Amino acid sequence: MLSFIIRRLLIILPMVLIVVTLTWGLIRIAPGNFYSGEKKLPAAIEATIRKKYGLDKPWYEQYGMMISNIVRGDFGDSLKYQGQTVNEIIKRHLPYSATIGILGYLLALAVGLTAGTVAALKQNSSFDYSSMSFAMLGLSIPNFVLGPILVLIFAFWFYILPPARWGGPTALILPVVTLAAVYAAYIARLTRAGMLEVMRSDYIRTARAKGLDEKTVLLRHAIRGGLIPVISFTGPALAGLLAGTVIVERVFAIPGLGNIFIQAVLNRDEPLILGIVAFLSILIMVFNLIVDISYGFLDPRIRYE
Amino acid sequence: MAILHCRRSKLLVLLLAISSFISGCTTSANQRYFGKTVAPTNNVFRYITGPEPETLDPQLPDGQPESRILLALYDGLVEYGPKDQLPIPAIAKSWEVNPKFDEFLFHLRAGAEWSDGVPITARDFVYSLRRGFAPETISRTAANGYVIKYAEAFNGSKVFVKKGGAFLLEKDFGKPDSPAPPAFGPETEFHKLINSPPRVTLEGDEKKRAKEIAADPKLAAAVEGAELVPVKAEDIGVEVIDDYTLRITLRQGAPYFMGLLAHQFFRLVPQQAIEKWGKEWTRPEHIVTCGAFRVKEWRPYDDLVLEKSPNYWDAANVHLAGIEFYPIEENSTMMNLYKAGEIDAFLNHIVPTSWLDEIRKYKGEYLNSPENAVAYYAMNNTKPPFNDPRVRKAFNFGLDKEALSSFRKITKPLFNIAPSGIIMDFDKAREKVREDIRKERGISPEDWVKLRAFNPDEARKLLGEAGFPVQKSGDGWACPNFPTDKVSITYNTNESNRATAEFVQAQWKQNLGITVPLKTMEFKTYLPYYKGLQYDGFAQSLWSGDYMDPYTFLNLHYGKDNEGGAGFYDPKYDKMLDEANAEIDPDKRFEKLARAEFYLMEQLPSIPLIITATNWMKKPYVKGMYPNAGTLIPWKFVYIEHDPAKWETDVSDIMSQSDPQVDKQLQELMSTQKAVTK
Repeated sequence: MLSFIIRRLLIILPMVLIVVTLTWGLIRIAPGNFYSGEKKLPAAIEATIRKKYGLDKPWYEQYGMMISNIVRGDFGDSLKYQGQTVNEIIKRHLPYSATIGILGYLLALAVGLTAGTVAALKQNSSFDYSSMSFAMLGLSIPNFVLGPILVLIFAFWFYILPPARWGGPTALILPVVTLAAVYAAYIARLTRAGMLEVMRSDYIRTARAKGLDEKTVLLRHAIRGGLIPVISFTGPALAGLLAGTVIVERVFAIPGLGNIFIQAVLNRDEPLILGIVAFLSILIMVFNLIVDISYGFLDPRIRYE
Repeated sequence: MAILHCRRSKLLVLLLAISSFISGCTTSANQRYFGKTVAPTNNVFRYITGPEPETLDPQLPDGQPESRILLALYDGLVEYGPKDQLPIPAIAKSWEVNPKFDEFLFHLRAGAEWSDGVPITARDFVYSLRRGFAPETISRTAANGYVIKYAEAFNGSKVFVKKGGAFLLEKDFGKPDSPAPPAFGPETEFHKLINSPPRVTLEGDEKKRAKEIAADPKLAAAVEGAELVPVKAEDIGVEVIDDYTLRITLRQGAPYFMGLLAHQFFRLVPQQAIEKWGKEWTRPEHIVTCGAFRVKEWRPYDDLVLEKSPNYWDAANVHLAGIEFYPIEENSTMMNLYKAGEIDAFLNHIVPTSWLDEIRKYKGEYLNSPENAVAYYAMNNTKPPFNDPRVRKAFNFGLDKEALSSFRKITKPLFNIAPSGIIMDFDKAREKVREDIRKERGISPEDWVKLRAFNPDEARKLLGEAGFPVQKSGDGWACPNFPTDKVSITYNTNESNRATAEFVQAQWKQNLGITVPLKTMEFKTYLPYYKGLQYDGFAQSLWSGDYMDPYTFLNLHYGKDNEGGAGFYDPKYDKMLDEANAEIDPDKRFEKLARAEFYLMEQLPSIPLIITATNWMKKPYVKGMYPNAGTLIPWKFVYIEHDPAKWETDVSDIMSQSDPQVDKQLQELMSTQKAVTK
């Protein structure tokens, strides 16, 4: 187990460097640069900028400098936001994304697990059909449609919730619900499928044969196996949620990482893009590792050698 | 089945009834105003100015979102007038201009101070300008001040050439000699120096300099063995005469110079904070400002909270207790916040086209006035077929701009390079010049009108002359020879650009039988493609004037490396503009500019499309805030009206309405400057 974890942790750094290299290449291929604007810059000023940011050096030197900085954990200064470091920007905006991300996921778990489990236990009942129809609806309505609909209802028909911006618990409700909808739908469907499969398996039959009551069968044996698909989904989903969800953050004007990331790309703010990409890839790999470890606890058949 | 159907329709009716009840409630409750309308009791104004500001340093950014924030935080020699954007006294209580418009003497007010209590003197202005032009500052707006003597040379790290103890002078190398101007203000050592004949400046970069020298044998001989002296901050034409007197010397007469000075680039930056904190001086804990407001809190991407500055020299006339700027980019999110009463106004160009018909009903809130900005299609003059003026003109004649403008709903058609209806004196000069030219050429008034308006017949004729005959084809036209594979309309992705491009495409198809393909790209990708003349055919351009003078538009096609985006260069046009700017009499200058504009229209480097218009909203209780031509808000005039009886009812002619409070405030400010120079 320990060697498995160490092996996985060791691979993170080279993986991050590969991701960063690819991203760096893509940024360099993309036309345009961070300093270009509607007005032409005088040639001398452009030369000063290029010199200041080392853009006048050959590409391999620039690449080497970038990689050595990243290995030391220093992503440098944002090119767009003067006097702010990338690390500081990520640190400052992560909590916003994490707050709505975690709350959204908890809500999705609560709704999805309940709906999925009940639907599986009462397969082909009207509850099953209606909850799965809602789940299908949740999956098919994109959040840039759901968000504005919720705003219309709760901010303009009833005037009870603010339509956007950060501030106060009431402001969290709409973005969290919007975010949760699609995940709840996924989780409900995964749970239902997982539970249906487990409930038909031999060990459940054995448990029942031992004379355990249905509640114990469900809570002690079935849930653990039935949740495996949900857990594998949770790793990358949670990493993505923590790192910011672009659309929800933009619709609700939330100062999260997703919003910053999009802006960084549009601004060609290379250090900020690389910083967020590296952070996001580490996050995804760590969460995947946690997920893999948790399998062992949920399903005794899974072993790590 | 029938029963089910019946049940369903009952349900549908019920749903419809509920929803119409709900929407009925909300609209009837707020019919007069758009959404929730409650004046903030704490006098704190809530505003959306666009994306997150890149910095609070007034000399660095060139974006409009930052401008409006910087206008609140920093003061300069002059401030924008709230309606006309013409300069009004700020830290300079008055100023004098010499007859050639190349020297300006500013008398500063005593009592102005920084937000940390340090008094503001003429030295602060000299520091600020020298810092702004310093190459290492990397100001993107420094070019606004290039007319200040040697500012461009200093900003571009250029060098003087010194030989035998004397500097080489421009007049010895083919540049016209200008007679020494009469004395203006007290004579000083610096003034003697700055007023001496202009020196030759060369590129600081060795390679570029070698190229420059190689092109001019006389210069090459003169530079041989000479000493190169870098242009320093101390060389630029700004001078402290005493604590409260400042003199600025220009390299040539610039009657529009006063109009430039309210720009954020010319506002004061705090030497004390910059030297202490370096690039971190703009952080909320370090920042020192000098405007009507100061920074209270800054949560990037969330809000920037300003409060009234007690140190501001005119604090008694600042009405708002504070301003909260929210950085938001989604137009519909802004509209939502406005409707929910969470903000009091938002920036320009926001109301989506699909909302316009509804929003226009709110006459006390929707602001639609002409802007000092134009949209045009640059044509790539460096590639065929648009290197032929006949082809360029044909496409111009073949486009009905009145129709385009009414299709875009809130704009006005543009027939010239500079907009009409913004600077009335220039419009008059243009009329007069056009009439003179018509008489000179002996053209009848009827024919003259045809030559300037939408004229598809003329367009087809011109195309034929250029070798692309247009033939009748069914109900329409066809132009089989025209290389449509070599042209396109390129624009940066955005809803209104797309609408314009599609409309223009349809017009040309209908009138000329030519279907020009459309090409769209993301803004940062578009910029080098367009500025680097990589495009074929047409490229979407939008230009907002930097100051209230037609020169800000005519300058677009001035010089070899110009901003026009068409690759157009004509020395004759440049000469016409230079002569106009050397003109002392403002009316005559406008006439000369109008002649130059007419000349340019005959070459037609680009197709004028529309004069853009403001498109934003403010709540009816917001007063002293005007849809001026650049949406630049001098914040000290803005106030919240708490008496609903005095709220705005119709802002469609807000620019001609008078507001006693604003008028009085303006009058008091203007009283120190007897004759304001435009």
